Amino acid sequence: MKKALAAAFTAAAVATLAACTSTPEPTTSAPPNTSPTDTAAPQETFDVRVAALPIAETGALWAAIDEGIFEKHGINIEIVPAQGGAQAIPALLSGDIQFAIGQPFGPFRADAQDLGVVIIGDYADSLATGKDVNAVVALNSSGIDGAADLAGKNVSVNSLGAAGDVTIMKAVEDAGGDPKSVKFVEVAFPEVAAQLDAGNIDAGWAPDPFMSMVAGGEGHIVVHPYQATIPGLSVLTNITLQDTIDNNPQLVAQYSAAMKEALEWASANEDAVRAALVTNLEIPEEAAAGITLPTFTFDLSVENLQTLAGLAVGYGVLEAEPNFDRMIQQQ
Amino acid sequence: MERLSSNSTRSSRPIILGLAGVLFFLLVWQLIPALGILNPAYFPNATDTLAQLAKDLGTGALWKDIGYTLIAWGLGLAMATIGAIIFGTVIGLVPFLRRATHTTIEFLRPIPSVALIPVAILVYGLRLEAALLIIVYASFWQVFVQVLYGVADVDSVARDTARSFGLSRSQRFRSLVFPTALPYLITGVRLAAAVALILTITAQMFIGVPGIGRSIIFAQQGANWVQVYALIVVTGILGLLVNIGFRAIERRVLHWHESVRGEELL
Repeated sequence: MKKALAAAFTAAAVATLAACTSTPEPTTSAPPNTSPTDTAAPQETFDVRVAALPIAETGALWAAIDEGIFEKHGINIEIVPAQGGAQAIPALLSGDIQFAIGQPFGPFRADAQDLGVVIIGDYADSLATGKDVNAVVALNSSGIDGAADLAGKNVSVNSLGAAGDVTIMKAVEDAGGDPKSVKFVEVAFPEVAAQLDAGNIDAGWAPDPFMSMVAGGEGHIVVHPYQATIPGLSVLTNITLQDTIDNNPQLVAQYSAAMKEALEWASANEDAVRAALVTNLEIPEEAAAGITLPTFTFDLSVENLQTLAGLAVGYGVLEAEPNFDRMIQQQ
Repeated sequence: MERLSSNSTRSSRPIILGLAGVLFFLLVWQLIPALGILNPAYFPNATDTLAQLAKDLGTGALWKDIGYTLIAWGLGLAMATIGAIIFGTVIGLVPFLRRATHTTIEFLRPIPSVALIPVAILVYGLRLEAALLIIVYASFWQVFVQVLYGVADVDSVARDTARSFGLSRSQRFRSLVFPTALPYLITGVRLAAAVALILTITAQMFIGVPGIGRSIIFAQQGANWVQVYALIVVTGILGLLVNIGFRAIERRVLHWHESVRGEELL
């Protein structure tokens, strides 16, 4: 008994120690498997962990992986579902993941703290015309018809102090309302419809499938805040660390090439993206067919992000504009 | 003969009562969406949820999730228990250490484990180790505090008696401290088991390591509410089984102790 206990403790201690010592330095992240692939490709093979949100946009990635695009570029990719940038950036810093797909506000805030977080390319853009990828929705009975009606109302966003509330404030201001009078609360996207029904919020910001659920039921779209303020604004971007760019340029180059091809392929193969949503996110097929997909592209519009940062500073969401020269390094 | 039958009705009564409680709960659940107290679009009724659960049980995905969850839970609980026994015994038996650590312990203990998720991710990334840190931190204190008080609770008459009989240190530990602390330890582990399960699910939800918690988040993101509640029922059943299991262990290990004699199962 004593022996077993001692053995168990030793095992636990060893495991803890091993876990501590194996905490990778950022510089040694993603040790390249230097043996070249059999297919005579000139590139190295990398094991890569990428954090992505479990949302509809990630369908492009799942589908492109199944298509073998990352494999072709020597990227042995594993998607790690992260809950928002709040989790993805610490995970990047820990060295556990090499890339993250996240909203640009994560890098904005990280840049203010000199964390060395860099946007290396776009991932998905909102749509400049038509039905956009996200919207502020309200019930038909709310009397909220346009952005100006949001003034003085309780409006939900998934996380405060990011692109959602900044563009909504701008949309309200452009429509002639007082942006400072909007009362923002945090509600996760899946909860928006239920919170509207319960009367806890007057309007809520949500992407598909939740946007269409409300708009197709007893509610309607009030405004597409991205489209109304910064048409085509980047929804999600590819993020990594400056350390990774400096110490592992080959990895970043191959990943970027793979991602570029994956996103081009995804925008030409929407059916495959929707099919990936059904299998990976267990979205029912009918719902997946109705989801508004973004523009998948690796080419970043820096001006759009600068406009967003400028608005954020204007509304006091950010203290200062990030240093775009070091934060954005399009690969 | 008469006595025997009255005995058997008495022992089956708690089970009948327990079943009645479950049925009543299911009835209330069924009625809440039916009466429109909660919108059935977001809060599915009991029959739909249980039907979904039955369907899930036929697939490998749910069993895999249960496996991941039990592994993380078991590892976390074991690490917390072993750590707590060692630290609890040492600190509990040395009055100087107890006084020196008291304030620190009372400061650390109420810190919600969930608040440490960003730190855990910063140290270990989006991996099982990060989840274990959260699980161990929360469940450690449950056992630790019990052990701490358990080893210090030795009856003074018994201690003096042992001393006057000239029992050695290891003898005193084996036949005095250990039996005194054991009921405390078992209670601590039972409490920790429930806490560890809650934190396992939470960690899977917010760190993204595979398991029931992560599947709940995925189902939410897919607006698949029936699936969400089916998985929540699974976590409830796991919690119930864990509790029944630990009560059984408690009865077996502490059959001699007055706290166990005369206790009923459900």
